[in-house]
Amino acid sequence: MIRMDKSEHEAIRAVLAGDKDAYSTLVMRHSSNLFRVAFRITGNEADADDVVQDALLRGYRKLKSFESRSEFGTWIYRIAVRCALSKIGDRKVNENRRIAERTDLESDQLQIADEAADPERLLLSGEIGAMQEIAMEGLSAIERTAFVLRHMEGRSTEEIAKAMGIQPNAAKQSVYRAVQKLRRCLSTLKVKV
Amino acid sequence: MKHLSEEELVARAYGEGDKVTAEQHLNDCPECAKAYAALLGDLAELRFSDPLPRDSSYGERVWQSLSGSLPEYDAAERSWLGGGLWRGLRYATACALLLACAFVGGRLWERGRTQSSAAVNQQQKQRPVEPAQQRERVVVVLLSDHLDRSERLLVELKHVDAESTELVSPLRNEARSLLAANRICPQNARQDDDPALTTALDRLDHLLDELANQPGGLNAAALSRLQHEMNADGLLFEVRVLRTRLPDRKAVLDGRTNGGAI
Repeated sequence: MIRMDKSEHEAIRAVLAGDKDAYSTLVMRHSSNLFRVAFRITGNEADADDVVQDALLRGYRKLKSFESRSEFGTWIYRIAVRCALSKIGDRKVNENRRIAERTDLESDQLQIADEAADPERLLLSGEIGAMQEIAMEGLSAIERTAFVLRHMEGRSTEEIAKAMGIQPNAAKQSVYRAVQKLRRCLSTLKVKV
Repeated sequence: MKHLSEEELVARAYGEGDKVTAEQHLNDCPECAKAYAALLGDLAELRFSDPLPRDSSYGERVWQSLSGSLPEYDAAERSWLGGGLWRGLRYATACALLLACAFVGGRLWERGRTQSSAAVNQQQKQRPVEPAQQRERVVVVLLSDHLDRSERLLVELKHVDAESTELVSPLRNEARSLLAANRICPQNARQDDDPALTTALDRLDHLLDELANQPGGLNAAALSRLQHEMNADGLLFEVRVLRTRLPDRKAVLDGRTNGGAI
C-alpha cells in the first residue's frame, strides 16, 4: 500500500482544524495530474480546467470523509474522473438536445454527418489525430472515460471500476466496446480518405 | 479449435485475462494471431495528443481561483483522526447508556411484575369467600367440634363405673345433645362421598341413640353392654382417626385451606 506523504497528512489535519490555506499544498501538488486526466477525458482545456476546480472543491468539502489509510492523490484522482465523466455526460446530453430541437430530419442527418465524419475535411487536414477525435466523439461518456483510463492512463480494470464507481465487469465491457467502436469508425474513415 | 473472441483479444492486448491460455492459442492459431496483430496495430495508432504540460504556476492559479469559495472547517470538529476517535467514543457512550437503560428498565419491570403478583396474591387473600367454600368451612368446623365431643363422650363411657349413677346422668344428657348434631353430619358426609366417615357416624349415631334413649334408663347392664359394643367396634379409635384427617381448626378459620379435606 502506498503511504501518504507526511506533509499531505499534516495539511489535511490543518485544513480540518480550520486552516483552509493548508489546502493549497494539496492543490498545487495535484492540479497538474488532475488536469491531464481531465483533459484526456473531456478533450478540451476549458472543460478540463472546470473539472480540476470542481474536483478540488468537492475534495475539500468531503475531506472529513477521507480516510488516512488511502492516498490523497488516488482519492482526488477518482473524484476528478467522476467530475470529468459527469462533464462529458452533460455535454452529450446538451448535444443530443440541440439535435432533437431541429425539426428537419434530413438537415439533422446532414448536420450530424458534417460533425461526425467529413472525409474531405479530414483529407484536407491530413491529421490522423483529428480522425481519432471524431471517432472518440462516437463513444458514450462511460466508454470514453473507461477507454481513456485504460489506454492512456494505463489503469487496470479494478482501478477503472473504482474510479468510475462501476462494477469491474462493466468497466471491462466499456473498454471493449470503446475499442470495437473506435476500430470500426477509424477503418471506415480510412477507407473514405 | 475455438478461436479467441475479440473481447479476449482486447483483454490480452491490455495485459488482462488468461494470459497463458491466450498466448498458447495465439501460437497455435494463425487466424487469431493475425487478428491480434491487427488489433495491436490499431491500438498503436490510437495516440492522442496530450495538452501542453502545465507549468509550476498552474497549481497556484487553481488555488487562487478556488480559495475564495472554500469555507473554513470548524476547528471544534477536529481532524478525521480526532473526529474518528471522538465519534467512536460517542458511539461507545451511547451504546453503554443504551445497555444501562435496558438493564435498569429490565430491573424495574421485574420489580413491578413481582409487586403486581404480590398484590394479586394479597387481593386473593382479601377476596370474599365464595358461599360454597364458606359452607365447607362451616361443615369442617362443626364436624371437628362434633368429633371432639364424641371422643370425650366415648372416653368417659369407656371408663365410667356402671354402678355410679350420678356419673351416668351427665353422660346421657351429652349423648342427647350430640345425637342431634350427629344426624346432620352424615348428610354432609354422604354429599362429600366419604364412606368411612358415613359408616363411623352411623355407628356413633346408633350408640348415642342407645345412650340417650335407653328404655328404662341407663342401668349397669346397659352401660356394660354399650361399653362392650364400643370396644368391639373400635369406635373410639375410628373417631380419633377421623379427627386426625380433618384440617386444623384454626387454619380453617383463617382461610388457609380450601375446606374440602374430608
